[in-house]
Amino acid sequence: MPNHLYRLTADEVASGIKNGDFSAQEYISQILERIEKIDVKIKAFIAVDKQSAVEKARSIDKRIRDGDRTGRLSGVAVGIKDNICTKDLKTTCASKMLEGYIPPYDATVIKKLKESDAIIVGKLNLDEFAMGSTTEFSNYGPTRNPWNINYVAGGSSGGSAASVAALECAISLGSDTGGSVRCPASFCSVVGLKPTYGCVSRSGLISYSNSLEQIGSIGKTVCDVEMIMNTIAGTDENDSTTKATRPITTATTPNTASLDRMPKYSRHQKKRNIRVGLVKELIEGAEPAVSKCIYSAVDLFEGSDCKCEDTSMQSIQYALAAYYTIAMAEASSNLARYDNIRYGFDFSPEGYEWNTYFAKVRNNFGEEVKRRIIIGSYVLSAGYYGKYYLKAQKAREMIKQEITSLFEKYDVLIAPTMPILPFKFGEKIKDPLTMYQIDIDTVVANLAGVPAISVPVGFSDCLPVGMQIMANEMEEQTLFDVASTFERILDIRKSPEI
Amino acid sequence: MISKDEIRHLGWLSRLELTESELDRYAAQIDEIVTYFDKLDTISLNGSEPARSIKKVSELRNDKIHMFEGNPLKFSRNRKDGFVKGPRIV
Repeated sequence: MPNHLYRLTADEVASGIKNGDFSAQEYISQILERIEKIDVKIKAFIAVDKQSAVEKARSIDKRIRDGDRTGRLSGVAVGIKDNICTKDLKTTCASKMLEGYIPPYDATVIKKLKESDAIIVGKLNLDEFAMGSTTEFSNYGPTRNPWNINYVAGGSSGGSAASVAALECAISLGSDTGGSVRCPASFCSVVGLKPTYGCVSRSGLISYSNSLEQIGSIGKTVCDVEMIMNTIAGTDENDSTTKATRPITTATTPNTASLDRMPKYSRHQKKRNIRVGLVKELIEGAEPAVSKCIYSAVDLFEGSDCKCEDTSMQSIQYALAAYYTIAMAEASSNLARYDNIRYGFDFSPEGYEWNTYFAKVRNNFGEEVKRRIIIGSYVLSAGYYGKYYLKAQKAREMIKQEITSLFEKYDVLIAPTMPILPFKFGEKIKDPLTMYQIDIDTVVANLAGVPAISVPVGFSDCLPVGMQIMANEMEEQTLFDVASTFERILDIRKSPEI
Repeated sequence: MISKDEIRHLGWLSRLELTESELDRYAAQIDEIVTYFDKLDTISLNGSEPARSIKKVSELRNDKIHMFEGNPLKFSRNRKDGFVKGPRIV
């Protein structure tokens, strides 16, 4: 049996298993051993589902032996952010409020992964209810950065990025409300995609801010992220905001179900003469080590078939305030449902009046969640709605319009993913506004609903730097083309020594 | 300046029983955050419309009943005679 199967990309695993180079059981046993050995240091997983993983691997091997067809992700080990519902496997949102919750259904993305024969190996750590940028706000303790375990892994999908970087799974799913896939992807030197709003079903994603969030994918390579998107993207009757991912050209009634089964993105489809806008405010606003890496990558890229120039985005000045106003307003509404009655921790309602009981049990939300609920209630309250919420929605429209006009001029926009390098635990946790400000580069794509991908572009002081590429709505293919070109010319993929 | 009493009131509206030390901490932090949000107030409400969903009501799917498989209440810790027990209302 080949050693170090856990090092393979999803693409290599699926073809290796289908070609009979190794079995799904051989591969998954190495992955489970790796998790057992490494995760005590990294703490990416909240739960590992060994038994189901082994059973699924056995069934894939049998089907291959029997000559049956298997799916696109045959045998590939996938980790799932723990705010995505998995049937019969606990889903906690890293919160005490969801203690003991075992979903009775699979999220749409989970159904699609299972139909593609991916193997779900476990649930991954996050900031409680996906609110945070470091995974320090998890009720299960922080996830550590595999490149230096004294540093944060980013967040909120810290477990999703760290597990892929630490070779504990081949690919993972995260969710991205204001950068929660791209931030940890950048901090852990892996590829992370936030798709167009409506490209992937949110049915079964435990909602925090439903007008901004999308389920995103993380992999070691652009090709792996493309494979996940070919599996999970598409319309869903359980999410009315989903859109068809391919233009429908037939005059007859379109069959979206069959469209969803087709590969939507291709690694062979290369766009030429790419027009690139470098977002000046974001590149110049980053710390020098970060902007230096971005410019070095762009210099190399300019040698290929493209034209790069500086561009400016005036409305960025409002982006962070607008983002947090809208996200917190939606959070205060979405989290109103948690009452500890249908599931939750052990605290009897016997003898309590309902207002008192709810206020008492809901104080078990963590520090950051409570802060956001209170601010959300504030910006929606009489007297402040017009001053904050309405103006934030107006700013959002300005940002959408400006970015739409920029995409008439450019195919992609480039910026840093994060304005700073990964930092040490505890460095920013006491200062929430400073913590929010590190999201400045990523929130624009969520406000405008456009896709954005983070790709590794280098290291500074042995800490990873990620670059963000944004494209127009439903232009994920353009992102994959440009990102894979960067990946090829930079050729910096490596794994941390743990 | 956001006062401790305002935070207490917002906590009550959100059904969060905050401790005294949380009230002190949140009052200072939230005041700083909301002051940062004040930059939104420089935007004029004239001109372009605020962002909103472009989904039209007629595009929504039919309201069909699907039977849910499984028991969504089986993880409640407070069940009795097939019901879930909650706190008293009065």
